[in-house]
Amino acid sequence: MEKIIVCIKGVPEPGSVKVDPETHALKRESMELILNPNDRPALEMAVRLKNDYNIELVAISMGPPNVIPLLKHAYALGVDQMILLSDRAFAGSDTLATSYVLAEAIKKLSPFSLVLMGLKSIDGETAQVPPETASLLDIPSLTNVKSLFMKDNKWIAIREIEYGEEEVEVEGPLVCSVSPTAFEYIRPPSLKRLLEVKNKEPIVWQAGDLNLDSQKLGLKGSPTQVVEVIEKKIETKGIILEGETEELVEKLIEVLKEKALIKN
Amino acid sequence: MFERINIENLPKGNILAFGEFYRNELNNSSLEILSPLKEVAQALNKKLILLFLIGSLEDIKNLEEIKKSLADEVWFVVNNELKDLKDDLYTEVLAQIVKSSQPYGLFFPATKIGMSLAPRVAGALKVGLCAHVNYLKVKDNQIIMSRPTYGENIIAKLVSKSSPVMATISLGAFNIKYGEREPLMKEIIFPENFSWSSKLKIRNFIPSKKKLTKLSTAKIVVSGGRGLKNKETFQKLFELAEILGAEVGATRPVCYEGWVEEERMIGVSGVTVKPKIYIGFGISGALQHTVGMENSEFIIAVNTDKDAPLVKMANLALIGDARKILELLLKKLKS
Amino acid sequence: MIQYNFTEEQKILIDLIKQIGEEYIKPYALEWDEKEIYDEKPIRALADADLFGIIIPEDYGGLGWGSFEMCLAVEKLSYYCGGVSTTYAASFLGSYPILLFGNKEQKEKYLPDIAKGKKLCAFALTEPQAGSDAFAIKTTAKKEGEFYILNGMKQWITNGGIADIYIVVAVTDPSKGARGASAFIVEKNDPGFSVGKKEKKLGLRASVTTELFFNDCKIPKNRLLAREGMGFIVALRTLDFGRCGAGAQALGIAQAAMEVSLKHATSRIQFGQPIYNFQAVNHTFADMAVKIEAARALIYNVAKFIDSGAKEISGASSIAKCFATDIAMWVTERAIQMMGGFGYMRDYPVQKYFRDAKCLQIYEGTNEIQRNIIARELIKYYK
Repeated sequence: MEKIIVCIKGVPEPGSVKVDPETHALKRESMELILNPNDRPALEMAVRLKNDYNIELVAISMGPPNVIPLLKHAYALGVDQMILLSDRAFAGSDTLATSYVLAEAIKKLSPFSLVLMGLKSIDGETAQVPPETASLLDIPSLTNVKSLFMKDNKWIAIREIEYGEEEVEVEGPLVCSVSPTAFEYIRPPSLKRLLEVKNKEPIVWQAGDLNLDSQKLGLKGSPTQVVEVIEKKIETKGIILEGETEELVEKLIEVLKEKALIKN
Repeated sequence: MFERINIENLPKGNILAFGEFYRNELNNSSLEILSPLKEVAQALNKKLILLFLIGSLEDIKNLEEIKKSLADEVWFVVNNELKDLKDDLYTEVLAQIVKSSQPYGLFFPATKIGMSLAPRVAGALKVGLCAHVNYLKVKDNQIIMSRPTYGENIIAKLVSKSSPVMATISLGAFNIKYGEREPLMKEIIFPENFSWSSKLKIRNFIPSKKKLTKLSTAKIVVSGGRGLKNKETFQKLFELAEILGAEVGATRPVCYEGWVEEERMIGVSGVTVKPKIYIGFGISGALQHTVGMENSEFIIAVNTDKDAPLVKMANLALIGDARKILELLLKKLKS
Repeated sequence: MIQYNFTEEQKILIDLIKQIGEEYIKPYALEWDEKEIYDEKPIRALADADLFGIIIPEDYGGLGWGSFEMCLAVEKLSYYCGGVSTTYAASFLGSYPILLFGNKEQKEKYLPDIAKGKKLCAFALTEPQAGSDAFAIKTTAKKEGEFYILNGMKQWITNGGIADIYIVVAVTDPSKGARGASAFIVEKNDPGFSVGKKEKKLGLRASVTTELFFNDCKIPKNRLLAREGMGFIVALRTLDFGRCGAGAQALGIAQAAMEVSLKHATSRIQFGQPIYNFQAVNHTFADMAVKIEAARALIYNVAKFIDSGAKEISGASSIAKCFATDIAMWVTERAIQMMGGFGYMRDYPVQKYFRDAKCLQIYEGTNEIQRNIIARELIKYYK
C-alpha cells in the first residue's frame, strides 16, 4: 500500500470571525484558527489505518501560515509529513479553485492509496471539496464514510446515505470524506510526538512549486462569486414574557391548548 | 415506451434538474427543487428538464408522480449499470449529457447523494458550484442564488460565471408543486462505445433502522439548542414531540455535539421547515438556523436571553431556563 | 499566583492535560460521580497521549521523566476529576515496584505496555485485618517448585478489575514477621485470581475500588519482585514515591474548589453587592490561596528532592502528602460554605471536590500514619 494523504482545514474559532467587507470572504490570515472539527474523524481514521497497515501519513493544509499549528497537531496525532499550501494567490478561492490546488498537490505526492478529508468545514459547509478534488484527480470518491479497510488490495468502505448504509468496494486510489460520527472515541495528541514536532516545520508549497495555472487560482479562478449581501434585520414581532418557570409553563400550555396541540 | 433520443440530438440550452432515484424510489427532494427552477426556466424562456439515471424502466415505481411534476420534459438514462449508485459512472453519464445538451443550468437536491455527485460533475466540467441555496431568481438574464454566510448576519447573493450554472438546493426549502401538462418522456440513447464501467462495486446495503425523519414536512416542530445544556435534556424533546405529534429538530452545534443525529439539523446545511407551529428550546437563533425555520407560521421561543434573534422573531417568547421549562412542561403534560 | 518557570516540555505536558481535561473529562465528570461510573475513555485518552509513560525510562518506551512531572500531570488532571486522576495515579503506584525493584526481564516484559497505557496497574497491600497496620497481612504465598501459590484476599484495591497487572504483597515466611513478606506480580488472567464486588464510595466515584481474591492462585516463580522477604521494603519504598502523587491530587482538587467558589463569590449579589466584598468571605479566599500556594510549593519541592536521587525520602513525602491533603479538605469544605446552598447542591461540583478530598486523607496511608512516619523520621534526622 502507498501513502495516505489527509487534507485538513483551519476554520475560525466561532465568535472570532472577520470578513473582508468587499469580497465577503473570510479573512483567515488575521484570525485565530482551529482545526475544522469535522477533520478530526478524518485524522482519526488515518491514524487507525496507519497503525493497522504501517503506512506513511501525509497531512496537507491550504491556508495562511497560521494553519501551521494545526499541521503540527496532525503530526502529534501520528502524521509523518506536514505540507502547507500557502500563497497569496490562493486567497478567495471557491471550492473549484481550492480543489484544483489540492489536486495538484496530491498529484505531486503520488503514488498514494487514499486521500481522506472531513465531510465538510464548519465555515463553508459546502461538502464539495472531497468529491471535487477526486474528480479533478480522475479517481473515485465516496462521501460520509464511517469505516474503511483494505481487502485483497481493494478498499472496502461503509458509506452513509439517507436510506441506510452501503458497503462499497473500490479499486484505489480513492478520496473519502469521513462521516462526522464515524468514531465514538477520537484520540488526543501524543506527548512524545508533541515534543518531537516542537522543532519541525512543514514543507511549504507555493503556486510556483506546483506549476499552477494562475488563471485557476483565488478569486480569479473562482466561478462562483458574491454579487450582493443583504443584512438580516430582525425586529421584535411578538409577545415577550418573563417570569417564574411555573407561570411561563402555564402560558405555554395555554397556547398549546389554543392551537389544539393538546386537549383540555 | 418513451421517445428514444440519441444523446447528440438532445435539445440544448435548458435547465436540468437531477432526479434522485434510489432503489427504485423517487426522492421527493427532486420534485421540490422543480418549484423554483420552473420559475427560473420560465423567466429565461427555457425548458425545465428532470433527469433520471436508472437501472431499468420497469423499476420506476413513482411514474405517476413524475408525470404530474412541473418538468417540461423528463429524460431517462437507462442502463443496468446505473442500478447502484456509482459516483464515478454517474458523473461520466451526467458530464456526457452536459457536453451534448449544453444546458444553461444543472441543479441537484442537497441530499447526501446530490452532495456527492454535484461536486464530482462540477469538477469534471471545471465549473462553479453553489452550495445549499435556498433562493433562486432571475435578474438581468442571470440566475441569482443566495445563502447565509458563516459568522455574519448576512445573506450572500451569488452568481456562477461558468456554464452551466450549477448548485445544490437546500432540502425542504421549497414546496412541491404540480404541473398543468404531462411532461414529455424521453429515453436518452448513449453511443455504442460508451463505457459503463465503474471502479465502485456496491457489495451490500443495510437499510437505516431509523425511519427517515419527516421533519421537512412536519406540521409541528419542537427544536432544541445548546441552551438545553446536555444530551439527556435534549432527548426529552422526543417525549414532548410524542405528546404533541411533532418532529424534533436541532441546531448545528447540538448536532456537532452528538446530542442528536445530523438528519435533524435545521438550517443552511440541514433541512428547511415550514410548520404551523415551531417551538425552539434554548435556541438563540443564529442565521444558520433561522433561515431554515423563518417561514414557520407561529414561532415560540424559550430562552434566557431577551435579545436573542429567535426571541425577537417569535410570536411568543418565554424568557427563562429552557431546561427547567421543558422539564416542568413535560411533567405537567404527563400528569 | 506564584508563577513557576516550567520548561518547554513541562508546558507542553500541562497543555496536553488541559486539552484532555476539557474534552474528555469536564463535560462528564459530574455524571460519572452521580452514577458512580467508570468510563474508560479518559483513561484511553491518557494512554494515547503517552501520559502513562511519564516515569517510565525511555529505554522501555516512556518519557523518562521524574516525580516532578508526574506530580504536575496528576495535579492538572485532578483539577478536572479526582476520580479519573485516582485511576491514573494508582496505576503509577502499581508500576513503581517494577520500576524500582524489577529485574531486567520483568522490566522488559511489563514496562513497555505500561508506558503505552496498554496495561493498567494496581497496588495491593491492604487487607480486611491489615489497614494502617500493614504488617498484619494474612495473604500467603507458598513456593511449590517453579511456582508460588497465593491464598487470601486484598481489600479496597484501586483499579481492581480494570488493571492488568497487580502488585501483591503476601507472607512467604510467617516465622520472620515483617521480614517474612514478599511482593509479587499477578496478572489478571492468572488461575485462581478473581476480583470481588465494586465498592460504593463517598467520593472518587469515577474510579474503581474492589476486593481481590487469591484461591490457590498459581504464578510462575519469576513473578517475585526483588527477593523473598523484601515485600515490605518494596511496599514502603513504593509508598514513599507515590505519596507526592496523592498530594498533587489534593492540589488540583483544592485549586478547582477555590476557582469555582471564587467565581460564585464575585458574582453572587447579596445585600446589594457581590458577597466577595465581605471580609468574612474574602479573607477565607485569602486563606485558601495561602494554603494552596504553600502546599504547591511544598509538593513541587519534595518532588524535585525525590528526583535529585535523595535516599531518605519517607519524611519529606509524608510531610507533602499530609499537608496538601489536609489543606484540600479544609479548602473544599470552605468552598462549600462560601457558596452556601449552591455549594450543597449536587448540580454544582464543589460538593464533589469535598467528597473526593476526604479520601486523600485516608488512602496511601492515613494522615495519622503520615504523622507517625514524620515523627519517626524527625527523631532519626535530629538525633
